Amino acid sequence: MIPTGEATIGPFFPPRYMDEGANDLTMFDGRKAKGEAIEIHGRVLQEDGAALENLVVEVWQADAGGIFRHPADPRHAQADPGFFGWGRAATDQQGIYRFKTVRPGAPEGRQPHINFMLMFSGLMRILKTTMFFEDGNDPVLLAVPHSRRSLLIAKGNYEFNIRLRGEGETPFFDD
Amino acid sequence: MLSIPMPTLIQPRDERTQPARIVPGYPQTRWRNPRQPLVRRQPTLAELTGPLEVARRVMLRGGDIAGHGERQAIGQLIHLKLRVLDEDGAPVGGTVVEMWQANGAGRYLHPGDDDHAPSDPNFHGAARLVTDESGSFELRTVKPGAYPVPPRDGWWRPPHVHFSLFGRVWLSRLVTQMYFPGEPLNGQDRILNAVPDAAARDSLIARHVPPTRDPYNALVYEHQIVLRGRAATPEQL
Repeated sequence: MIPTGEATIGPFFPPRYMDEGANDLTMFDGRKAKGEAIEIHGRVLQEDGAALENLVVEVWQADAGGIFRHPADPRHAQADPGFFGWGRAATDQQGIYRFKTVRPGAPEGRQPHINFMLMFSGLMRILKTTMFFEDGNDPVLLAVPHSRRSLLIAKGNYEFNIRLRGEGETPFFDD
Repeated sequence: MLSIPMPTLIQPRDERTQPARIVPGYPQTRWRNPRQPLVRRQPTLAELTGPLEVARRVMLRGGDIAGHGERQAIGQLIHLKLRVLDEDGAPVGGTVVEMWQANGAGRYLHPGDDDHAPSDPNFHGAARLVTDESGSFELRTVKPGAYPVPPRDGWWRPPHVHFSLFGRVWLSRLVTQMYFPGEPLNGQDRILNAVPDAAARDSLIARHVPPTRDPYNALVYEHQIVLRGRAATPEQL
């Protein structure tokens, strides 16, 4: 069967779907996640440099041990029971999103990273990108042209800015 | 019940079945979609896993959003029967579905909708459900009204319902819209018609079920949503 066509999330995604605590990945099931707690944040801008408010950002990452809470991960039985791995945030008036999470470990064959998806009015398709903590020998990072790789690496205080189009455009993935 | 054949195989989609990223007459698409070519990557474990049991992180909200008795929403009462399947046609059970729509007059329950159309205090506007083992979920709602899109250059959105679904892995996440059959505005809608392939556009339009006895005493529509992914066989891994 053919996968259903995507469409924009539009301007009216219900505010109540931004559940309280949905951008805090440090607690799950009444437990505290293991590992180093960090706050990742960044600003989302469009082509003319305008900050975008109410853009929906979702993240997915491995736990501090580099394990995904999902049966396709061969190590998932050892996943941290206090870590769910998914979160959602909306950008504020300055275009800024924030997540509290733990620094992910390295999954096998990968550098530590956090997957992002962006949904917004005017985005007909979900935009997908990946944030890294440092440069390195990672197959996803190496797929990006060399001159653009630094755009996927968070600054020291876990700041990961996203430019949808134009100067300093964030690399997005076709998948 | 969570039905999760693992692992999941993800293949590239036929681009003609998916909307163009830049849409004529929809100016925001020009400012917000990348200019640089998208980067091809082989899906890794991070893309072939994803959040399951999202209902443990978010609040569910019932699928009867049209009100009752003295507090019934205004509009044509409808009963939507939906099924969520994977590319093999296998049901995707246990996955969270978020829906939202305009009221019968074409206005959203949202602070950003300052349209002239009246709000309806008895219409709840949104539901968040989990599919059952057969991949099904049902909604009792009113048929959404059409509305003009700012800056009102003649583009009206046809009646439509928004859906956001998770599925089994990161790459099965889907945000889509469902349309109604026989609507004159369907043929001109800039979002629906951004999908090049005619059969793919048709698959976004619900099917009207000829009236019989319905528990909700409502007009019935059926719709099917296909998420990316199929159960991988060992030789495909």
